[in-house]
Parts: sequence; structure tokens; C-alpha cells
Amino acid sequence: MEKFRATDRAAAEELFNACYPRLAGWVRRLVDDDDTAHEIAAEAFTRLLARWSSLENPQSYLYVIATNLVRDHWRRTGRERRALRAVSAASQEDPVLHPAQDVDVRALIQSLPDRLRQPFLLYHYAGFPIRDVATMLGRPEGTVKADLHQARARLRAALGESRV
Amino acid sequence: MSEPRDELESWLSVQVQPLLPPPGTFERVSRQARRRRTRRAVLAGTGAVALAAVAAVVIPQVAIPALETGRQVSAAGSTHGPAASPHHPSPLVSSPVPAPTPSGPAGVAAAPPPLSVTFVGVSTGWVIGQASLTGQCDRPAAPDCVVLQRTDSAGAAWRTVNPPPAHGPAGATGVSQVRFLTPSDGWAFGPQLWATHDGGQTWAQIPTGGLRVTALETRGQQVFAVWARCTGTGQDFASHCTRFTVYSSPAGSDSWAPAGATLTAGAGAAGGAASLLLTGTTAYLLGPAGNLLAGPLTGASLQPVQQAAATPSGAARPSSTATPPGGPAALPCAAGPAQADGQPSRALLAAGASAGGGLDLLCTGPSAGGQQSKTVYASPDGGQTWRRAGLAPAAGTAFFLSGSPSGTLVLATSLGIEVSADGGASWSAAGGAMPPGGFAYAGMTTDAQGVAVPADPAQHAVWFTYDGGRTWQRSPVSG
Repeated sequence: MEKFRATDRAAAEELFNACYPRLAGWVRRLVDDDDTAHEIAAEAFTRLLARWSSLENPQSYLYVIATNLVRDHWRRTGRERRALRAVSAASQEDPVLHPAQDVDVRALIQSLPDRLRQPFLLYHYAGFPIRDVATMLGRPEGTVKADLHQARARLRAALGESRV
Repeated sequence: MSEPRDELESWLSVQVQPLLPPPGTFERVSRQARRRRTRRAVLAGTGAVALAAVAAVVIPQVAIPALETGRQVSAAGSTHGPAASPHHPSPLVSSPVPAPTPSGPAGVAAAPPPLSVTFVGVSTGWVIGQASLTGQCDRPAAPDCVVLQRTDSAGAAWRTVNPPPAHGPAGATGVSQVRFLTPSDGWAFGPQLWATHDGGQTWAQIPTGGLRVTALETRGQQVFAVWARCTGTGQDFASHCTRFTVYSSPAGSDSWAPAGATLTAGAGAAGGAASLLLTGTTAYLLGPAGNLLAGPLTGASLQPVQQAAATPSGAARPSSTATPPGGPAALPCAAGPAQADGQPSRALLAAGASAGGGLDLLCTGPSAGGQQSKTVYASPDGGQTWRRAGLAPAAGTAFFLSGSPSGTLVLATSLGIEVSADGGASWSAAGGAMPPGGFAYAGMTTDAQGVAVPADPAQHAVWFTYDGGRTWQRSPVSG
């Protein structure tokens, strides 16, 4: 069984204190709900601590896990919204309220394929440099740059269409 | 119709607001992670088929002592007690804030001093400043000008709390800076000394016999301060200082006593300066002549650091202060005149990453044309020997140097913040919107999070980093 020593705990607690507020804030902006943000951030830390001794870059691991959990949340809430619409013909509105300035871009980011969404969130939102994003996702830096360019082009095009 | 490019850029440029963990989150996460490790171990040892049958028995019996002990995390997310690791400078930053002196140390400052900030853990901190920016706060008859504000959300929100009943710095009276060791024990100083042991509900003035407190730091269970004999007037309370003595007291009481010999400043119209640095085990006093005293954090007397018998190749030994091997060690540069709050202007000392007493020192030259030479020296042995580590960018005037727990150097200058991850050999300018006039202070609370104070108090804000100093964002201070 993996050992979790006192020094590991101290380091983990220090990382938690240092990273949790920003990670949870990052997630909140993506899911627009404090409770869900806490759930996702706590789950990311749980997975991190469960694999603590085998990780070289805990912070990167945290954000990759959180990105995947956010994706799962979006998929789940998307299914729920579709189900609600199906049973309630009168309800034509999105039952989840979002800040107006965020909802369009966020909805469009949700629609990006995983291949583009992951590097987009890690680079543009979490603030990791391209080199780190490439390492996190196991892709060449050139591929990450191309993915980011493609993601931005798609978002701009979609934003343009939505405003016409 | 809005411009799509602008909307995307606007969305991306919005800064993330931190979301603090509910109380007990770390403990809950630790427990869940432990269960998962246990399950994984059971799976590996007995196979998945047996898991459901044995888990209920095995899991409660597997105890990981480290998860059941350790430091407590308060509801605000701050840690209490002594630093966890002696070679880390401090996960609990009590941040000194020097003030730049555009008009020179002996000049009469027209603007009030910069804000002073202190943090206990990553979430809870205080900022002290003056309510008035018109220079009316340095009068003894205006005791309400000092404003103390507190955050429990890493700067996301601030509220006004009870300040010490003092005015701004004016010669021998007033206060300008703040430090807290715990949410209860705090001090306001510069030049007078006030203490609270109930979180600021009440403050008591500590008599200093006419000496001015020009520096104060706290760590572990002890507080240290430099009591100086000075004749500076107005807000330049820390100028024209000639004698410096370290005093210390247990943090929970007000039992101040001398903790080392008195150092004297050399000849000079503006007098000298001295600064304090506390690492996990040691209190250092940087004296006006480039001398270095050290002592344990217990409050025992500080003694001159002795030069190593054999100076390694490349170690610096300044010609003006050279001493025979084995004698008192001297820094590569003297402290120079004081900045407005007493911090040296020519020698900026910071804790390094080396276990057992790593120190870093920035020696600065005169500022001219917006340029200033900045040479970094490193000592692996608590100041016994020094080697030249590199040059910081010449642009701008250096105000403060600090080190993160893992040794990243953060330098506050009149232009912004420079960061070095290799001990000063190379530097990168931090990103983010920088305030005019740069920063008077920048320090790291953890390897990721830090706080900086603009040189211009009219900004009414402090800056935070959450990515190790690479980028900084503004946090308005208003309660």
C-alpha cells in the first residue's frame, strides 16, 4: 500500500491551502454554482491525495482532473436539461441560470470537442503555459498551439453567428 | 451587434475569484483519499471479488497516523502554530513593507506611506493604511486616520476592524505598519509599538523609552523588533538612525527585552538602517555596516555570524568590510540609508531555499535615469560565506526582496515585479496590470500564493498572485 507520511500530509495540506481557493474559483466560473464547484474541487483533491506518491506535478494533475470533472458535469446537466424539456412542453427556458456575461461563451466552450476544450481551459483559463499544457495532455507543444488556434477560431465564429 | 473577438477576449480576461473551502474540507478529502488508497491496496492484494466482503472490516482498521494529526486548519483556511518545515522560510507570512522614498531618505514625503499588509495563512490578512491621502494624518490630534482592514477570503472581500488608537507616522509618534502572527496576536508599529492579543478588539501601547520601532517580524512563538535611536521628522521617522537594538518578546505577552548587542551606524548624513529576517529556525539582523547577527527563534541573544574559516572560491568578501577568516562575517554590501519605513535601501535580505540556512541578498547601486545595478548574492550557510549568483534587471529601483518556501525570489521594484526561479541567475518580469510606481513590497505566502503592495497608496489595493508570482491581479481594499 502507498505510504502517506507526515511530510506528505504537510506538503498536501500546504498545496491544498495554496491551490484550493483558485481551483474552486476556476471551477465555479465554469459551472456557475458554488456547491458544485466545491464538490468538483474536493473530488479533484481526493483523487490527488489518493495517488500522491506517484505524481510528479500535483498542480497539473489537479487541473486536468478538474477539467474532466467539469466536462462530466456539463454532460450530466445537459442530459437533465434535455429531459426536462422533453417532459415539460411549457418550459422553453434553460432551467439553469447563468450570469449573462458568461453564459454564451461558456455554452460554446461546452460544445467544443474534448480535444480542443481541454487545452483551451488549461491555457486560457487556468493560466498554464503551453509547455505545461503539452506535458499535462501528453501532446507536442505544436499540437497544443494548433488546438488552441482552432478552438479560438471556432469560438469566434460561433459568437459571430450567435449575434447575427 | 457586439464584436465577437472582443467578447471572447473580455470573457477570457476576467480574473478568477478565489472560492474558499468550507471548514473541514481538507480533513474530509484526506479521509476519502485514505479510503481509496485502502481499497486499491485491497484490490491489489485479494482481488476485486473479495473487496465487497472485506472492505467493511479492513478499512476502519487501517490507520494512517499522519492523517489524524498535524496542524489544524481553521474555518478560514489558515494554519496555526509553528512552521511545518524548518527549511521553509514560512508558510505563514508576516510581511514587511518598505516604503520607497522618491525624495530621498531625508526628504519630506508629501504622500502617506504605502499600505502595510500581513497574512496568517492563505486566507486571513490585514492591511493598515491612512484614511487621508492629503497629509493630514500625521498629526497627533488626528488619531482616527489609521485604518485597519481584514480579509478572511484571500482578498476577495475586506472589512474594517478596530485599529490601534494612533495617528500616522510623524517623527517619534504614530504607526505605519502591521504584523499578525495568529488571528489573535498582532502588532502595529513604525515608529510607536502597539500590541493586541484579542484580534484587535483592544490595543495596548508598548513603551520603548523614546526608541523608534523600525522593523518587526514574528514567527513561531516569538516576536522580534528593531528599536532604533533616530531623529528623522514627519513620515521619515526611520531616517537619521544611529543605534539599533533587537528586542524580542513571547508572542502572547508583552515582555520585551533586548536580544543582542546594539549596532551603530557609520558616518552619513541620513544615518543607517537595519532589517530583520526570520527563517524557520533563526532570527537574523542585517546591520547598517553590512554586519549580520543571528540567533535562535526562542528569543536568545543574537550573535555575530562568524565567517567560515575557508572561504570557498567565488565567495564575496567586500574590501571595505573584509575581516580575517574566522572573524565576524560581513555582507557583500552595507545596508545603506533607510527607506521611509526603516528597511535598508542598499542591501535587501531574503530567506533562500537551502536547508540549514540559505540566504539571498540583493545589493543595489545608486538609482540614475531609471536604472539601478542589482547584484544577487547567495549564502548556503546562514551568511558565513557568500557567492555572486547573478544580476537582476537594471530597470527600476529595487524596494523589497523575498523568497518563496521553495526558494523562488520575488523582487518588488518601481516598475513592477521580477521573479527568479534559479536563485537570481535569471529573471522574468511578472505579468498582469502593474500599478504606476511599481510595488513597495512583494512576498510569497506559499509557493503559489503571494501578496504585493503598490508603492502608491492611492491605489487603495493590494495585488495577489496564485501562480507562483508569474501573474498578479489587483484586489481593491475597501471595507
